[in-house]
Amino acid sequence: MTLLRQTGLMLWKDTLLELRRRESLLTMFFFGTLLLFVFNFAFDLAPDKIAGMAPGLLWLAFLFTGTLGLAQLFQAERENHNLDALLLSPLDGGALFLAKAAFNLILMVLVEIVVIPLFWILFNLPAWNLLPQIFLVTLLGTVGFCVLGTLMSAITLRARARELLLPLVLFPLMIPVILATIRCMAEVLRTGQFGDQVAWLRLLLGFDVIFLTAGVLIFDWVIES
Amino acid sequence: MAGLSNQRDFDTEFDFDLNQPGTTIIVVELSYQLCHSSAIGLEALRVTVDKLARAYGFLWALRDLNLDLTPGQCVALLGPNGAGKTTLLKLLSGLITPTTGEIRFDGVIFSRSMPELRARVGLLAPSDHLYDNLTARENLTFFSRLYKQSVVPESLDSALEQVGLAERAGDYVANLSSGMKCRLSIAKWMLLQPELLLVDEPYGVLDGSGIRLLENFLKHQCTCGSIVVMASHHVSRALDLCNRVVILSQGRLSFNEAKRQPWPAFETAFSEFLPHGGS
Repeated sequence: MTLLRQTGLMLWKDTLLELRRRESLLTMFFFGTLLLFVFNFAFDLAPDKIAGMAPGLLWLAFLFTGTLGLAQLFQAERENHNLDALLLSPLDGGALFLAKAAFNLILMVLVEIVVIPLFWILFNLPAWNLLPQIFLVTLLGTVGFCVLGTLMSAITLRARARELLLPLVLFPLMIPVILATIRCMAEVLRTGQFGDQVAWLRLLLGFDVIFLTAGVLIFDWVIES
Repeated sequence: MAGLSNQRDFDTEFDFDLNQPGTTIIVVELSYQLCHSSAIGLEALRVTVDKLARAYGFLWALRDLNLDLTPGQCVALLGPNGAGKTTLLKLLSGLITPTTGEIRFDGVIFSRSMPELRARVGLLAPSDHLYDNLTARENLTFFSRLYKQSVVPESLDSALEQVGLAERAGDYVANLSSGMKCRLSIAKWMLLQPELLLVDEPYGVLDGSGIRLLENFLKHQCTCGSIVVMASHHVSRALDLCNRVVILSQGRLSFNEAKRQPWPAFETAFSEFLPHGGS
């Protein structure tokens, strides 16, 4: 109960700060949209190739915009030694982890709600009825990205070139998530269902659960060191 | 300090029967200040530091430190730059872990894994530990809730009024001056009432009334049974305020005595270990 109460309190604080600063969400939104236009100009995709290319392009956009969000995730804690204030308090490290991961997830989902339909329009994808399945896969992948990204963001918190270091540490570890989401999305776009790619979906779910649990358990140690 | 949420004054009168022979009028006025320890049903905190040492790489910032802090003590932590004052405060607050040795709170070894012990320690860092884009009131609300305290709007108002920030309650902390931020930090710890309050160089940003406010607050904390440890270069002020002086020199404890008058031992230590001391 304390964990949930503290998570809610931290989430309230982060949301309030974001509403006032408007740094992360606006930057992520514009960067994501910009990437889609760049892809649209760069790749002149034939209709028969688009189903194979779309998942990869979409995930490139999500990875880059998500990394922008992660880089800003502990910004408020870096100012005025506020991380010390949190470490001094009886705040559970697990609650801090859950709040930060949830906050980044909210930002990414808001961006994805705009970016995915925009992608469909720009690349003239006909299958609008497949959007719910695409959103489901994207959500599972985004949870994995946010959970692992929050952990890595905390690990690189005190590093000097943290903005450079974060993607270098994070992207290799994200390979299972990227692979699973791209396979699932490609299958959905080709056949309209998950078919024999359900195993990838299970892998995504497993990844999310494992790293979410690990994050809650080890975040106190991660943030201290 | 009237007006704190957990501080009440009780005036009790005992009237005796005036008709009884030999009775004189006795009126006992008992002013009882209900302080935090008694309010939350806790024993006053006792802190024991045993052979504490902390190294940064190959450099020992603090070595072989033994200290016993009892309830009600107000300790002036003095020493030249690099003596280990801030390291000691960080160790006592749990922000860093000792390389060797241990800190015990009421006999229990203090570590960050015990949130109930962390909640009993406060670190007053002037201008720090506040969110710039939250208002003064929102900062107090956030930290009060973080320390599992129910937030009573009246107590927030009272704390803000006592530190002279009632009219700036709705202002973002980013728009407050350094002195005002320090006052807000004082209001924060007034509300949270830690049993061990660590204060790091508080005088730099405060004006005259701010210094009076801080000193009254620290005195009140000690009266309530809290332990106050204040690191400062402002020797004369620290001496006036505190009832014990600890001097660190090159990471070692050089002097540790309760205040007395006259105090030749301190005069000697002062000239030996604080050659570049303040006023």
